[in-house]
Amino acid sequence: MTEDNKLSKKENKSFLDSLKNFLRLNTLFNKSGSDRYKGLKIRIVLLDAVLSLIPLFIVVTISYFWFQQILKDDYRNQLKWEIENTKQSIEYFLDERLSTLRFITSTYTYEELSDQKKLNDVFIKLKKEFPGIVDFGVIDADGIQRSYAGPYRLQGVDYSSQNWFNEIVIRSSYISDVFMGYRKIPHFAIAVKKEIPDKKTFWVLRVTIDVETLKKYATSINLRENDDAFIINHNGILQTTSRFHGTVLETYKDFKIIPEEKTTVKDFNQSKDDCGICGYAHIKNASWIFVAVIKSTPYAKIPNIFRNELFYITVLSILFSVAVTFMLTQTVVNRIKKSDQEREIAISEIEHSSKMASIGRLAAGVAHEINNPLAIINEKAGLMKDILEGSENLQKNKDKFLVLLNGIFDSVSRCRTVTHRLLGFSRRMDISHDLIDINDAIKEVMGFLEKEMLYRNIKLELNLKENLPKVTTDKGQVQQVFLNIINNAVDAVEEGGQIEVSSDIKDINTIRVLIKDNGVGISKDKLKHIFEPFYTTKDKGKGTGLGLSISYGIMQKLGGTIHVESEVYKGTTFIIEIPITTETL
Amino acid sequence: MENKGERDLRLLQLRFIGKILAGFTHESKNYIAIVKESAGLIGDMIQLGKKSGDEPDAYLEIIHSIEEQIEKATDLFRYLNRFSHRMDTELCTFNVNETLEELIALLTRFANQKKISLEKDFQQDIPSITNNPSLLQLLVFHFLEEQLTGLDKNSSLILNTSLSNGLVVVKIMIKGNYLEAESEKKPGTDNKIHVYIIDQLGGTIIKENDLISISLPVLLS
Amino acid sequence: MSQTKVLLVDDEVEFTVALAERLQLRNYSVQTANNALEALGLVYKNRPDVIILDLRIPGMDGIETLKTIKKYDPTIEVIMLTGHGDVQSVQEGMTSGAFEYIMKPVDIGELTSKIDKAQKKKTEV
Repeated sequence: MTEDNKLSKKENKSFLDSLKNFLRLNTLFNKSGSDRYKGLKIRIVLLDAVLSLIPLFIVVTISYFWFQQILKDDYRNQLKWEIENTKQSIEYFLDERLSTLRFITSTYTYEELSDQKKLNDVFIKLKKEFPGIVDFGVIDADGIQRSYAGPYRLQGVDYSSQNWFNEIVIRSSYISDVFMGYRKIPHFAIAVKKEIPDKKTFWVLRVTIDVETLKKYATSINLRENDDAFIINHNGILQTTSRFHGTVLETYKDFKIIPEEKTTVKDFNQSKDDCGICGYAHIKNASWIFVAVIKSTPYAKIPNIFRNELFYITVLSILFSVAVTFMLTQTVVNRIKKSDQEREIAISEIEHSSKMASIGRLAAGVAHEINNPLAIINEKAGLMKDILEGSENLQKNKDKFLVLLNGIFDSVSRCRTVTHRLLGFSRRMDISHDLIDINDAIKEVMGFLEKEMLYRNIKLELNLKENLPKVTTDKGQVQQVFLNIINNAVDAVEEGGQIEVSSDIKDINTIRVLIKDNGVGISKDKLKHIFEPFYTTKDKGKGTGLGLSISYGIMQKLGGTIHVESEVYKGTTFIIEIPITTETL
Repeated sequence: MENKGERDLRLLQLRFIGKILAGFTHESKNYIAIVKESAGLIGDMIQLGKKSGDEPDAYLEIIHSIEEQIEKATDLFRYLNRFSHRMDTELCTFNVNETLEELIALLTRFANQKKISLEKDFQQDIPSITNNPSLLQLLVFHFLEEQLTGLDKNSSLILNTSLSNGLVVVKIMIKGNYLEAESEKKPGTDNKIHVYIIDQLGGTIIKENDLISISLPVLLS
Repeated sequence: MSQTKVLLVDDEVEFTVALAERLQLRNYSVQTANNALEALGLVYKNRPDVIILDLRIPGMDGIETLKTIKKYDPTIEVIMLTGHGDVQSVQEGMTSGAFEYIMKPVDIGELTSKIDKAQKKKTEV
């Protein structure tokens, strides 16, 4: 178990590491090859795109939900207002009828309305004004129906034991719940009590109204497809037929006790299909509650549209952003690439010039060096000529001649050594990939500088390790480095100084060459800058300051290194390390 | 990455110098060898102890030859020295005649081997120009080498300099027939490098059948 | 006429020995030195008339040696001996008081003619 954990941890770590490496931009500049620019571009674009688009996404998402919430709230408020409105219109409807009944009780006496004919008359007129009225009747203080106008036979019915009668005795008006009438048609009753103060009694005027009219008012609210609006009483019995929640006089199944008096709007979420907003409003004067169950979400439509637009905008933004980032990155990285290329070209050019100049100097050195042996041959030959022209007896000078001739041979030898050296050097100037012996390369360079060192009385010590493994590298360039450093050493030591060149094996793939002089040395703060281009300690006009920086560049290119140690007045040592084999050259 | 032209030019320059130095060392080696042999001969003559009145003359003759060789070698090294210093900087003011003289001196042996005459015909008072002397040598060398390898023996090459319309003109006048095999090789990738070099020199080349003209401005702009 | 006293200064022994002998055959009195120190020693000791001086000698710089000699005795004429390409040194030498210069390898006729000219100049003054 733990093994697996360890492994997966390792995998995680390496994945994390590689992700980190992937994102690390600065390491890109150390790689080589033309695809480093491509990689760089991709990384910058990705990083930039991600960084700039994350906030966009966050904002867009938040906006979307926020907007949706606002619309929902707005809708809810609207709904509340509508419910309030409907409640008021229901109440108004009820009030209107109550007022009318009161008016009638004020206008007509009990006796008048007890008259059937009169009652009918009023009934007809009343019905004309208020079409939903079913019947109309007068009830005395004992609860007996005195007169009745309507489709039923209710004259003489005793209501004294009925709840509504008891209620109305207490109150002055009463609105009943819906009930099923004799003809199995649901209706409800409104009654008003008229006190007769002299007689200390009262009578009741009662009217029943059909439920359809009520329903009309209940459903005046704006209802959409899945919405429902109805009226229930305090026990949850439907007073009007609802669309989805039962017919009139059935129990509203989701009924809960609603304690509040003011209009309420709440969310409900029974299931995926059964969620929405539920609004309640108590109806004044009646023990009713108006309920609206709104499942439709018209506010959702807007966000949908909004979402579509948002989606397109987002996509376009992404595309645009990425395009711009890409173009910018392209421009910048291309510029970097161009600069790098230009720099590389410039460096190559300088290196080449430097090489040419070195070659020139070596060749010139040879030309100078040849002078003396030629002069010697000339004089000796000349002397022989003089002797021949002057003397008669050749025999006497035989020995002298032989000596002179030997001198000529020696000089000839010298000439040949010098020209041979130059030939060897010039033969391989354009070869850059060669299996060479470092010691031979060093000796060749020393050959060219011997005369100069002799002239300056500089002691040269060579400690070259025998049988060094051969190295595959650019001989010309390696020699250029040696030449440069040894020249510096020659300049650093004064007359009678000492230069030591040694070679050995550092490790299995490295050969180390040390060039040590006992000259003026280099101070610590100058040492820091010594490989920088154009840094020179020589006087103005002498030396470009490029020699060491070019040498440094060459060693880097060949896969090797160059270091320097120095102490002021004690001397300087240059340490050059050359790889025996390199993977890329 | 630097362009191919630059890289080709560098290789060409190194090869050119290599060829010149090699040619020169061979030539000087010859002179030195003659000196050695002559000295050896004198030695032998002395050892063998010929006794006659002509001896001094015989010796003198040999010694004279030694002195001649020394003089030739000295001249050669003088040219080498000048040639070497051309590589010091890429831009300097120099005398075109002197520059081409070195080239001729260093190519004469090769020309002699091919039995083609290589002569100079320089206008003496042409002004010094400011340009890349080593590159100019490379260019002229290239054409001369081409001609020297392509022409049949007994042909002649004349290197001519003149001043015309403010430009210094170097002409290679060719007289002779080409060897069969070589005439097929003439067009090739080498032409591109000419174009590159003359561009660097800021001048123009006109190539005709028996004349190659290189025009250079006095000042490289 | 007394012999012209010549001092030959060059680091190559073979060269100075051979040339000295040739000059002696031509009736010059010749001494040789192979470095600056030796040369100056002989200058002080023997007061040569003409000095043939190679500019590239070990020890003191050739030009410095020339200046020292001219300072010591301005009547001594110095002919500079030079390899080709030492144009700068030659110019410097001429401005430092050298009489003439001659290139190596030396043409004996040219050298003797220059020595004679120098001697003539010396005696005429």
